[in-house]
Amino acid sequence: MNFDDLANRYLDGQASAEEVRQLEEFLLAQSSSRRLFADLANLDSALAEQAAGWEPQSLTLPVKPMRTTTARTWLAAAAALTVLLTGTWWWQSATQVHATVARGIGINAFPQGMEIHGKHYSIQAGTVEFITALGAHVVIEAPASFQFESAQRLHMKHGRVAADVPPSAKGFTVITPTGKAVDLGTKFGVDVPQQGQAEIHVFQGEVIAQSAKGGKRQSLRDGQAYSLQSGAGASREIRSAAFIQPDETQSLQAALSSGQRSQSDAAIAALRKDEALIALLDFEDENLPPGTFRMTQGRWPGTRAPEFVNVGDHMKLNAGAEHAWPQLTLAAWVRLDRLESPYQSLYHTDGWDEDKRGQVHWIIKDDATMRLALKRNTLPPDSGEKDGFPDSLTPVLPKNGRWVHVAVTYDADARRIRFYLNGLFDKESLQATAHPALLGPAQIGNWNSKDRKLSGRVDELILLGRTMTDAEIRALFDAGNPYH
Amino acid sequence: MSPAEAEQHQRFLRTLTAHEPAVRAYVRRLVPSRADADDIMQEVAIVLWDKFGEFKEGAEFRPWAFSIARFKVLSWLRDKGRDRLVLSEEVVDLIAEETAQDDTRLERQRRALESCTQKLEPDQRHLLMQAYQPAASIQSIATTSGRTVAGFYQWLHRIRRLLQDCVQRELAKEEPS
Repeated sequence: MNFDDLANRYLDGQASAEEVRQLEEFLLAQSSSRRLFADLANLDSALAEQAAGWEPQSLTLPVKPMRTTTARTWLAAAAALTVLLTGTWWWQSATQVHATVARGIGINAFPQGMEIHGKHYSIQAGTVEFITALGAHVVIEAPASFQFESAQRLHMKHGRVAADVPPSAKGFTVITPTGKAVDLGTKFGVDVPQQGQAEIHVFQGEVIAQSAKGGKRQSLRDGQAYSLQSGAGASREIRSAAFIQPDETQSLQAALSSGQRSQSDAAIAALRKDEALIALLDFEDENLPPGTFRMTQGRWPGTRAPEFVNVGDHMKLNAGAEHAWPQLTLAAWVRLDRLESPYQSLYHTDGWDEDKRGQVHWIIKDDATMRLALKRNTLPPDSGEKDGFPDSLTPVLPKNGRWVHVAVTYDADARRIRFYLNGLFDKESLQATAHPALLGPAQIGNWNSKDRKLSGRVDELILLGRTMTDAEIRALFDAGNPYH
Repeated sequence: MSPAEAEQHQRFLRTLTAHEPAVRAYVRRLVPSRADADDIMQEVAIVLWDKFGEFKEGAEFRPWAFSIARFKVLSWLRDKGRDRLVLSEEVVDLIAEETAQDDTRLERQRRALESCTQKLEPDQRHLLMQAYQPAASIQSIATTSGRTVAGFYQWLHRIRRLLQDCVQRELAKEEPS
């Protein structure tokens, strides 16, 4: 093979080991070969540069002339340097359309159809879905700081992004401060916290993860997650609930534009006036309960919800200690991942002591059904319960993490427990012995005696000292439902 | 950002923008693929900014940037060279050394290329630009253009040769006769 062919094949990544060796011989032998080789590589680089500024359809509008303010806008954004600098020809990219807005949810700055250039954006609230020039669906949830460097390269300084990448956009890459994820055509998410390492979660297909500083390329497949640490990464548990998925955005937006938000607010306001209310946590005021957790966006744009991620994460709540409660309703909106551990705590009073008759443990089990256990309550001999406790029937976790509403009512006098999922009655379980519910010091998302960590977000948690009717629970769900 | 920092930052951006294609082309001739060059460029840009305070106004930016890029390339080669088909360090060193002096010529070539790609047939140009998109799938581009992958690369080689000939002609026009 002649020198010209060898050089071309090498530059196209097509050369075999043997061909690379032959090319080396040519290059070592003569400076004229090296010069020709540099010419060809130079052409290759210059063509890539042209391609980066190239408008795919000749029908597109002429490229807008660069405004002199661009440099100032860049600077004003005071974006992370990496974001500013790593742009491949970001100068041109400032005028190219890399993506368009499919929908902005609770964020006016991103109207539908808006064209996204190489500008750097920071969003404080809401969720935006983009469609890249090559057809990838990309959902970014606030708070986030990001920039499309091209249709195929998204820089995330922080925030959460979920992408659904069709074959046409194979190779779509998310670049984070601690490494990058290259998608090979599938569904994946990247979580870039304000502090700490970015995490890559693969829901379907394959993604190549690479840490920034000399990390090896790591291939990740369905259901695998990986944290990008400098130099090396580490496997993590998959957290699909951490990401707003492209198949979810449409109904989130529809709910918001049909006025769900004000319904939800009205329902909460009414509950606050309910005389039987023991606790209502919507996490919107500055005084959060103590514990170890992250704050993320709640069901509505700009609202807040705690998220439990690591072993030991929890939130403390001390409410309803003044007396025992013959009637009780527990309800919450949750966005959870299924974990392997047998029990995950929605609400666990501290300890599990013989003398604390009626103390409450509200659990999601590893089969994704709910359990409401009260200390020293018993089942009747003919009970259909298989596990010795009142359990719900229908798994409460959807395949992909989405917001779901879980509720349970307890009536000690009627010795009755009723489970609800998304506003619908699921199952009733009777007790032989039924003590009034004992509340007080408790944890949400974990248990103080043993690890029962939940993985995901909790929003609008309610403890009510009476049993809500089926219709009330239905109304609570309808009012608070973020989907339409 | 203080006004002084902002001004420094702005000066850096202007300088980098002016020299980026040259530095990128320099890195490109030392590593196997454009994607590798892009990765290294990111790191180079960060180091350039970090050390920009040491860089004297009025000094030659390009040789300074080349030396930093060269250092990054060599560490990349040591890091990645084991599991990739890369040229030996000896060859890379030679190319780096000789072509750094050659930059004026290469820059003129890059400039001349612009008018040469304009001369291609529109659908040829379209295909070429597609093939040069970051992370382009040659497989699917080849298929849609009715070629095998091998055939597509053959076509690409031919187009590059055409462009190189055109570039030489363009540059010859500039020479004083």
